[in-house]
Amino acid sequence: MKKKKEIKVLLVDDEVDFVDTLAQRLKMRELMVATVYDGEQALSFIKKIEPDVIVLDLKMPGLHGMEVLREIKQLSPHIQVIILTGHGTEKDEEEAKRLGGFDFLRKPADIDLLVAKIKEAYWEKIERAMTAIAFAEEGELDTARKIIKKEE
Amino acid sequence: MKIRDKLLLGFGFYILLAAILGFFAYMELRTITTRLTLVEIAGDITNTILEVRRYEKNFLLYKDKDNLQELKNYLGVLKKYIDSIKSEVIKEIGINNYNMMKETISEYEQLFDAIVDNFRSQEKITTSMRAAGGKIERRLTGRELESFLDIRRDEKNLMLYKDQETYDTFIRTLNSANLDRYEEVRRYRILMTRLFELYRYEKDSIDKIRLKAREIQSFTENLSKKERTDIDAVSKRSMRLLLYALLAFIILGTIINMRLARGIATPIKRLEEITKKVAAGDFSERIEIKGKGEIASLGISFNQMGTRLRDAMESLELAIKRLHEKQAQLVEAEKLASLGRIAAGVAHEINNPLAIINEKAGLMQDILQMSADFQHKEKFSNLINGIIGSVNRCRTITHQLLGFARRIDVIVELMDLNEAVIEVKGFLENEILLKNIRVELNIGEDLPKIKSDKVLLEQVFLNIIKNAIDAVEEGGLIEVSTRIKDENTAQVSIKDNGPGIPRDKLKHIFEPFFTTKERGKGTGLGLFVSYVIMKKLGGFILAESEIGKGTTFILEIPIQPRF
Repeated sequence: MKKKKEIKVLLVDDEVDFVDTLAQRLKMRELMVATVYDGEQALSFIKKIEPDVIVLDLKMPGLHGMEVLREIKQLSPHIQVIILTGHGTEKDEEEAKRLGGFDFLRKPADIDLLVAKIKEAYWEKIERAMTAIAFAEEGELDTARKIIKKEE
Repeated sequence: MKIRDKLLLGFGFYILLAAILGFFAYMELRTITTRLTLVEIAGDITNTILEVRRYEKNFLLYKDKDNLQELKNYLGVLKKYIDSIKSEVIKEIGINNYNMMKETISEYEQLFDAIVDNFRSQEKITTSMRAAGGKIERRLTGRELESFLDIRRDEKNLMLYKDQETYDTFIRTLNSANLDRYEEVRRYRILMTRLFELYRYEKDSIDKIRLKAREIQSFTENLSKKERTDIDAVSKRSMRLLLYALLAFIILGTIINMRLARGIATPIKRLEEITKKVAAGDFSERIEIKGKGEIASLGISFNQMGTRLRDAMESLELAIKRLHEKQAQLVEAEKLASLGRIAAGVAHEINNPLAIINEKAGLMQDILQMSADFQHKEKFSNLINGIIGSVNRCRTITHQLLGFARRIDVIVELMDLNEAVIEVKGFLENEILLKNIRVELNIGEDLPKIKSDKVLLEQVFLNIIKNAIDAVEEGGLIEVSTRIKDENTAQVSIKDNGPGIPRDKLKHIFEPFFTTKERGKGTGLGLFVSYVIMKKLGGFILAESEIGKGTTFILEIPIQPRF
């Protein structure tokens, strides 16, 4: 089992005050947290360092959260994305689920709930990666192997 | 009877009466004209007779040819008149009278001819006598001559007076003269006797002539007089007849026409009255149908029209009422929808700053917990908890507003409404016990399972029953009833015996943020959310309330989903 500290979380939100504060609080709860302030930044970030879980706002300047989610799922399907928004409607929730979002939370969210969800999401990611390996032919699923390797 | 017939009858009566009147007047005038002709003829005859008589007198006086001629002329004229009398006039006079008149005239003429002969004879005899007298005078002499001269004096007297006395004197003188031995004297006597006979005959004839003339005269006079009287009578009769006819014309005509007019006008007037009533909006009046004429059929049509109009008005009124109700519902729904949109917009915008407050306060709490004790640590911690608590309350509001607190998308399943009600009651058991409230369940046993969203319905029941619990006093009563309303609809009613909701507040209870509870106790969203849910489920919710008696919420839920 890995240490909690090693769960890599990327917070994506244009509300700097909010996202920084939340980052501090999550760090206090032994998570690795990085913050970016819009969709583009988020996408360029995950191309360099792949987080385990992304906490994503929907209404942002530039790329909309939903677009970002779609991109992420194309780039790295294993990364679990939790939507955390103050604007979400039921339709957004459905759409997010359809695009492979892990969960849909509304601001203001309880910190303990959020942490719990992040952890769930992390385990989900691990599970999926393992399943992928199990079903994959030797050397076919590089991404999955890479993940497993890393986890080991 | 038809109006046309009635009018024809009215006019016909006048025309008939006028025709009868005209006919009578014509007949009367004809009679008068005939009579007038008679009078005229009678007048002409009278005049002619007068002329005849004038010349008769003249002739008898002068015994000359001219007067005789004139007399004959006028007699001819008279005869011509008599002959020219028309047969109808003769009938009027009487054929016997007419013939008698003719006979009298011809007798008169004969008599006259006779007297003319008589005069001629007299003249001859007189001449002979004078000659004989002269001859005797020349023969006689002396005493005898003297006697004879006496005779001649008596002869002159006789020729002058022509009467019996003078004749007797003459005869006496002749006898006493005793001259009969003379042949001439004997002849003289014979001549004288014959002359006297002629005189006597003349006298008789003249009397007869006068008599006949008078007869003719009186006859024509009578005729004329009678005709005048007749004409007078006929005129008077005609006038009377005309007067009566005129009176009959006026009185009968007026009566008949008035009756006919009333027969036409009365139903029309009635129709007019009812038409006015209908125009004023009273469709209840009906016309009494009498007979079979146009008025009756008009009445029937009118009555049908009245019935149709009334039906149309009733259905129209109903439709308008429904329309108003529908409109009010739509307005209410639209109002709630726009309120909901505004509320949602506000809720969205508030969520972000609320999240920042939440995180900052949370961070403060985090830091505080990691810090060593200091003088006000606990107080700070409480203050932060206060902030977080308020944030949570705000979150409850915004999330409830947005339907975030629970899912709001409908999941239809086959469910038992009674079961849902019982579950909700069980869920609220603590509060019910705490307030010592009686909750009666009147379960509709025949209620079928329905296809709806159990979770959402339970949410609605929960909201309303919770409100009821808040509303009633300790020991209050809440009745929850389920029943089947019709084949498509199930009905749940929740009745409390609380204080009731005033009318002006009742109409706002489904609006968001509207609450009758004291500040801080209610969000004012429970009923709004319930309303939205019921709409989503294709049903509806309404509330009835009476001050002092309580409030009833009625929920109608489609048995099969309608969305």
